[in-house]
Amino acid sequence: MSGAYTVPLFLRGEVITDDLVTFGTRSGATQFQAPDMARYVEQLPLPTPMAMADLNDVGFDEILDVLEALGNALTFDTNPHLQEAYEAAVLANPLPPDMLKNSYQILPPLFTRANVLELAETQVGLDYLNGWVPHALADGRELRVRAFGSRVVHIPAGNGGLVSAVTILRSVITRCDAIIKAPSNDPLTAVAIARTLADVAPNHPITKHLAVAYWKGGDVAVEERLYRPEHVEKIVAWGGLASVKHVTRYIQPGLEMIALDPKRSATIIGREAFGDDETMREVARRAAVDIGVANQEGCANARVIYAMTGTDPTGIANANKLGELIYEELVRLPAFISTPPPQPNRELYEHVEASRMTEDFYQVIGGEQREGAVIVSQFDSPVDYSAMLSGRVANIVPVDGIDKVTEAVTAYTQTIGIYPESLKHELRDTLPLFGAQRLTSLGYACSVPIAAPQDAIEPMRRMCKWIVEETCDPDVVIPLWRLGEAAAQV
Amino acid sequence: MTTKQSMVTVEQFMDDPIAYFGESLTQMHSIPRDELEELQRQAMAIRFDQHRQSIELVGKLADRLGVTVLDEFNDVVPLFFSHTAFKSYPAALVDNKRFDLMTKWLGKLTSHDLSKVDTNGCNGIDDWIDRLDEQTPLEVITSSGTTGTLSIIPKDKHGAREGMQLWKICLFQTFGTEPTFEQLNPAVEVIWPNYAKGKLGHLRIANMIKQGFTGNDERKFHALYPDAIDTDLMFLASKMRAAASRGELDRLVIDPALAARKDEFIAMQARQPEDLDNFFTTIAEKLRGKRVFMIGTYGLMYDVAKAGLERGISGVFAKDSAILTGGGNKGAVLPDDYMDVIHEFLGVDRIQEGYGFSEQSAFHWACSEGRYNVQPWVIPFVLDPDTSEPLPRTGRQTGRAAVYDVLLKAHWGGVISGDEVTIDWDLHCPCGQTSVAFEHDIIRYSEKQGVDDDRITCAATHEVHNEAVNFMKAFES
Repeated sequence: MSGAYTVPLFLRGEVITDDLVTFGTRSGATQFQAPDMARYVEQLPLPTPMAMADLNDVGFDEILDVLEALGNALTFDTNPHLQEAYEAAVLANPLPPDMLKNSYQILPPLFTRANVLELAETQVGLDYLNGWVPHALADGRELRVRAFGSRVVHIPAGNGGLVSAVTILRSVITRCDAIIKAPSNDPLTAVAIARTLADVAPNHPITKHLAVAYWKGGDVAVEERLYRPEHVEKIVAWGGLASVKHVTRYIQPGLEMIALDPKRSATIIGREAFGDDETMREVARRAAVDIGVANQEGCANARVIYAMTGTDPTGIANANKLGELIYEELVRLPAFISTPPPQPNRELYEHVEASRMTEDFYQVIGGEQREGAVIVSQFDSPVDYSAMLSGRVANIVPVDGIDKVTEAVTAYTQTIGIYPESLKHELRDTLPLFGAQRLTSLGYACSVPIAAPQDAIEPMRRMCKWIVEETCDPDVVIPLWRLGEAAAQV
Repeated sequence: MTTKQSMVTVEQFMDDPIAYFGESLTQMHSIPRDELEELQRQAMAIRFDQHRQSIELVGKLADRLGVTVLDEFNDVVPLFFSHTAFKSYPAALVDNKRFDLMTKWLGKLTSHDLSKVDTNGCNGIDDWIDRLDEQTPLEVITSSGTTGTLSIIPKDKHGAREGMQLWKICLFQTFGTEPTFEQLNPAVEVIWPNYAKGKLGHLRIANMIKQGFTGNDERKFHALYPDAIDTDLMFLASKMRAAASRGELDRLVIDPALAARKDEFIAMQARQPEDLDNFFTTIAEKLRGKRVFMIGTYGLMYDVAKAGLERGISGVFAKDSAILTGGGNKGAVLPDDYMDVIHEFLGVDRIQEGYGFSEQSAFHWACSEGRYNVQPWVIPFVLDPDTSEPLPRTGRQTGRAAVYDVLLKAHWGGVISGDEVTIDWDLHCPCGQTSVAFEHDIIRYSEKQGVDDDRITCAATHEVHNEAVNFMKAFES
């Protein structure tokens, strides 16, 4: 049986569609085919570390030129590779077509000179990327540090094409050799960008240092032969235990893992939000965006919303009212931001319906058509199925004080959207102790900056090899041999 | 127009099917399909009317959906509960020992009045279940889930007695012949390849079986492990598992009294090899050649059989023993010849298979053709797996199993399962039974999904991150 589409192997500029084998995306619902990587895996890594030399010699202006040309060519309406990627994603991804199309339309601005320069400067430092940066140490030695590219395998997340685009962008800026394992839920975006790169910069070192392939995560026949220190130095792995455990068995001295763990995000709404109707409506509008963007498939989306209303009858009434307003705003969001999810989570809705019948503890607003829903807890705890919240289903939890919120902030917490600003300021030194990684203004949770640390680490700096060159003048830095002479004279 | 006579008929059918069918398996599965469906339709309408008044949640759901009467089978489908209905209480109630609120919650799911239950000083789930046992007609059963809550199904004592009687009818009779006195009053020893006691899930059945099959004679009840499993400890394990999946293990507050019990639990585990030896010694020395009743999942049966054969014990029980298995493999992978291994150890003529889920009144027994013939008081449905819309009651249909069980009095009988089943509605099974049947191959949707799935997203979902909290796995099989 042949699949609905083919995921070609992009091998350093060459596009290969031979030796196809068939894969299922989910429960065999959609199938696709891709070259049998057991046959090609030996060709994926560079033959020798010395093969990094050509990439190392590419000047940063040239990097800017190539990326700018790439960005210009990534125009959805005229780029057949992107259109093909979109067609595949419609089948492989739970997001509706409008939203997927939008995820391609936001790609070109990422590659502009201004954006690339900002990213390079803030996330690594242009000086370090382009030359040896001198320092003088207290003992008198002169130090020069340079950020070299590494040989990296990337296992990106597939919820939206942005992750694949950012992966390539980070890789080119840091002059890394990149082998990308395409995600099965977004199988073609990385290949589409790679093919566009080959169109605008054929035979360029940047093109030659990019490979994109699909193999099934955990396929030992591929991974055992690729994940070796002689082939790659780092593996950037997105995803949870299931995907990361395939990788951890290969980690050893000389091969490190950069883990971008799956996360969840939260929201805190202070008492100020409930002062008057207009403020409450504005807060609801912002919260609805944080919940609704891309149908709540992402890690930055709001899910559990703590409302500091108090748990007395007035407080509960305020929480319920906020729930009504958020629901109204949620279903009003435009289709490119949010829609009723095409594949609502059945198990989640079984829980939502059970909560609807448990009125003593929960008030459920909406959700009868599985269009999204707001569950308002009538006491100070989230629903027990909070980890399942997706497809625009949020849970408002009224609390008396901040302690109940910090109880719920853990190592899994990424973004916290907060209203008002003064509350964010008040909490910013405390929340990170519990695990929060990014605090932002309510309504901006999903407008994630790329020129910033991610998941409390700096992935671009981690992707580089930080090399030191030292000069020690024996008259300044006392050498060991003189210490030896001095000791002998005593 | 329903005559008074037929009204009596329907009421006996739905309230006491054992008497209605003269305690005969053959009668139960020989009633013409049209006649049975008419009885079922009437019974469904009557039971719904009763439960609409007596079970608060059924009344509320019916009001919300605007359902006042049930005429056709499919009319009941929107009123079905999913498994979540029986665990919709906040887990915080148990943590905070608010068993008064737990009782109030449960009271809305049962036709029995729980308003007088005294939960004062109640210090755990086991204690609470004891109070319900003592003060009400209920005999609840529980099972663990993935979200850190236990489901609690308000079954009652009447249903437990009736259930055991039904089991005996199905286990000891043969379709096609009317029951003998001996078949109606079988004398057996019970082999229970599990923990002797406990209020969690199937362990609760241990007592029902002991009562139903031995008249509470401990000498005739042989459990693999003599210990009881503590429900509160299982609740904690379930919570730990949920906390691990949410990355909140560092936030979990463990009741010190319960934490202390973990040592007991570890000691119990350490004794298990010895217990296992004692169990096989009893089988080999005292029960060889005896007629027994033994029940367990495929996996459990296989493990016991393998351990027995390794000790040189085979063909151990009387050929007319009653053996019941089923329950899916629960993810465990068994070798292809697992049935042969079980047969070799047991040495019995036949091994019976049953299919059911805990919300129902009894299993559906597999016939000589391997199909699970649906008990006459159960109306089966095949639903679209995603939308839960009923599929046509004609031809061969595969989808999500759901049932309306008219025999259930203590709780609502309409439930949607997590199982993928096939029914061939037009089939008249060569086994001779007139009842509708589920085809033999049944799989859980949860096992079906996730196969071959390597999708990665950046959002954390349910995933167990700490193998250490899986210590309870062994007790769920």
